[in-house]
Amino acid sequence: MNKKYIYINIILTSLIFSNPGLKIAKQIENRAQPKDMKSILEMNLINKKGKQRKSSLKSFVKDGGKKQIAWFLSPADDKGIGYLKIEHDEKDDEMRIYLPAFKKVRRISSKKKSDSFMGSDLSYEDMSNRDINENIYNLLGDEIINDQDYYILEIKPKKSTNSEYSKHIAWINKSNILPFKEDSYDKSDKLLKQKYFHFTKINNYYVIDTMKVFNVQKNHNTVLTFKDIKINSNINDDIFQEKNLKRLIN
Amino acid sequence: MITIIIFLTGLITFGSKWIIVDDDFMKIIPNDVQSKIEWDKITNEFGNVDLMFIAFGRKGFSIFNEKAFSDLWDVTQSLENISSVDEIISLSNLNRIDNVDDFIEVNNLQNSKFLSPEEIKSIHNYLKKNSQISKRLLSKNNNYTSIILKPKANVNYSDLVKEVLSVTKNKLSNWEVFYSGVPYTTGLAPELIQNDVQSLMKIGTLIMSFILLINLRNFYAVGLVFTVIIFSLLSMMGFMGWIVLLTNSEKFYFTLLNSSMPILVLTIANSDGVHVMTKFFKEIRKLKDKDKAIKSTMDALMLPIFITSLTTVAAFCTLIWAPLNPLTGYGLSIGFGIVWAWILSITLLPSLISLINWNINSNAIKDESILEKLTSKFSFYITNYPKHILTFGISLILLAGTGIKFIKVDVNYKTFFKTGTSIRESMEFIDEEMAGSLNIVFRIENDIKEPFVLKEMEKIQNFSELDSNVTLSMSIVDVIKQLHRSVMNDDSKYETIPEQRNEVNNLFTMYSLSGEPDDFSALVDYNYNVAIITALMKSVSTDQIYFFVKNMEDYIKNNISEDLNITIAGMLVAFRDLVNLIVESSLISIISAIFMIFLISLFFFKSLYWALLSILPLTSAVILNFGLMGFFGIKLSHVTAILSSIIIGVGVDFAVHYISIFRYKIKQGTKLETISNDVVNDVGYPVILDAGSNMAFGALLFSSFIPVQYIGGLMVFAMFSTSIGTLTILAASAEILKKYLNK
Repeated sequence: MNKKYIYINIILTSLIFSNPGLKIAKQIENRAQPKDMKSILEMNLINKKGKQRKSSLKSFVKDGGKKQIAWFLSPADDKGIGYLKIEHDEKDDEMRIYLPAFKKVRRISSKKKSDSFMGSDLSYEDMSNRDINENIYNLLGDEIINDQDYYILEIKPKKSTNSEYSKHIAWINKSNILPFKEDSYDKSDKLLKQKYFHFTKINNYYVIDTMKVFNVQKNHNTVLTFKDIKINSNINDDIFQEKNLKRLIN
Repeated sequence: MITIIIFLTGLITFGSKWIIVDDDFMKIIPNDVQSKIEWDKITNEFGNVDLMFIAFGRKGFSIFNEKAFSDLWDVTQSLENISSVDEIISLSNLNRIDNVDDFIEVNNLQNSKFLSPEEIKSIHNYLKKNSQISKRLLSKNNNYTSIILKPKANVNYSDLVKEVLSVTKNKLSNWEVFYSGVPYTTGLAPELIQNDVQSLMKIGTLIMSFILLINLRNFYAVGLVFTVIIFSLLSMMGFMGWIVLLTNSEKFYFTLLNSSMPILVLTIANSDGVHVMTKFFKEIRKLKDKDKAIKSTMDALMLPIFITSLTTVAAFCTLIWAPLNPLTGYGLSIGFGIVWAWILSITLLPSLISLINWNINSNAIKDESILEKLTSKFSFYITNYPKHILTFGISLILLAGTGIKFIKVDVNYKTFFKTGTSIRESMEFIDEEMAGSLNIVFRIENDIKEPFVLKEMEKIQNFSELDSNVTLSMSIVDVIKQLHRSVMNDDSKYETIPEQRNEVNNLFTMYSLSGEPDDFSALVDYNYNVAIITALMKSVSTDQIYFFVKNMEDYIKNNISEDLNITIAGMLVAFRDLVNLIVESSLISIISAIFMIFLISLFFFKSLYWALLSILPLTSAVILNFGLMGFFGIKLSHVTAILSSIIIGVGVDFAVHYISIFRYKIKQGTKLETISNDVVNDVGYPVILDAGSNMAFGALLFSSFIPVQYIGGLMVFAMFSTSIGTLTILAASAEILKKYLNK
């Protein structure tokens, strides 16, 4: 092994051990994840007056969420609308929507990470995997909630990182390194969102099955529920193509 | 006695710390008024729909430059951070929907604080293409841009305006800035008016003291009159505070309507003080003994002061039946102030007089004042030409009375401010150059995703824009049309409402993929069952609003499907109803007050003649007031109507004093031949002095605010008409009827 790499390895290892926050972040990143996931995604949006908008989609996700195709199943008005998203590291992400009433596929802008995901309280940034190199991690302490022991981890995007947030405070379960709760603060350091996560174990993988997001500033809620979850069903890359938006694939 | 009264006054005054000032005039309107119901419904569904407009720029310079956009960015962000602001709409935070080669992009119109010339050009081009946005946010020649501010519901507009002005002064110091809209005017006006009234009241009080001093020619005497006035005012304010503390009743909140209370109590308390002091001077001149003079003064005035106080209190208490909540507090608080003025006049005032060493040989006591001498001469004419005077007086009243039919109820908020004042110029600028200062809202209930409903909404928008006062209208229909065009490759022929419901729905879903969930919350409710159309208007009067609403209602009835549940609401509509209610309740109150005074006079004087005579001067003054208003085109508004009660307040005082002294003289055995002469000699001076000193508040005529000018004008008119009415019509009638009145 080249000496240079040995040094880098030593430096990185010492950094990780000297920074317990970063160590936890590494553990999260290294957690085993399924290659792909099929599910029925139920989305319930609740405004400040308690009025609700419900919809459900059949969703295929691959590569940790970098590729996603979904078809609206309900409400009846939305049935048949197809949605495709492919994230790119080097260029803008691709997003397409099929509008059955117009029989047209339209590309949608995804330049802004803070844009709302399907009108929900989640932004595209919330839906993307967090790159460990783009953030600074600090372990703030720990806390016991309902007999469960949690790390309290502060995640601050680096100055060079394009983010809608100034920081996140996450509660990470010590036993399985899964997030339970995360508070996200806007650029003015005001609390913007509170997120709660629930995971289910399928074939030794922890897979998220419920996510609740509360936009504190807008007093708006989103509840995402993943049902009929199937993992590692070898979804072909060809599925994630514009032509497939027009028909529902099982 | 003095210590007890001062202690009690202090105790009552202490209550003023609990006074709650409330400038939200929507709270004044009873909850069962239809426009208020509709307004509440819309506020509940869409938040506040009152809009404030801020325009900035510089004449002759295009707003499309880097500095303007960087300042716009800063001011938009700072305004968004104000806690009482719900939403800010400006070019800086608006979304643009573009379609380039099938690529639909919902993005910020302004992406960052600092823009390159290319980015500014792109914004300019986008706005040229989207006239709906540019009409809303740009002036006709692109020299100015608007920022539309939507406050949160039920916030204090005064506080909001202060915060907004602090932001704009800081961030837009290099620009010409203009403001308008209901939150701005209602938020700013009370304080401006208050400051203006306060400074003019100070001048008025100085002139009043000067008039009193010239005539009473004694500092103590003037000081004593002012003691009664100030103690009465303080007690009235304290009373309001105590009632709020003890009952928490919103009826006793200090609203804009209550701002005329101090001047009313001031005039009435002045009347009591002036009558006691002038009578005391007359008696001490005659009896040469202070104690005897006090006793004689109080013997003669105890009953008239009691009756005048009772009748005035009764007149103001009739306001408890007024449909507007604050008028109950208004009437009862003034009533308390008058009662306290009465208590002070019969306890504190004589006690203080007894403490002072009066120099019987001073000019003030020894000689009659100029005014006193003048009234003596006046009495000659009353005694000698009563029929001529009465005929002339009645003819004048009858002639003026014909003017009542020309009277109009109308209020234009803009004309509250004098031409040339910065607030008026600001409103006129936004009316002429931007999209207008006011807005009215149509609430539409149905399935808003249904093209048929959207098309009906479009018809309403188009028809509303035919009104010359409407600058533009906006609704979810405009968004749908824009989205439709974007989906159809930005082809302008598709800037239409789609034909199918699922097409409309697809457009909403497409937008939701990159828009915020609440992006349309100001236009349509969460479940797409209720939408609003907002029509932006120039400043209009309540009369114009009445005709606009009626016109729209007729159009909707004849041209729009009955399936759509449509109501028209807005601050302006509610304001129109409020003004009508105030005018109506003031007129009812005036009539019932006159009737009440008649009954009280009948009870105390036990004579139908006297009872009728007691209401004669004030009824004449009321007819004269409204008649002349009709002839001179002075509109009857909530301000002029409510202030007409000054006439009742002081008119009854003068009449009761005249009648009481007349009866007192009869009892004392004064000959009928000289009785009118004696009474005018006795009562004329205090009546004229009281009226003359109160006329000092004619200083309010120099206010920058038209309603305040009305207060000044009405003050002068009320004093003149009621005092002259008493000394002419009442005096002449009493002279003619003296044989019957002697029985």
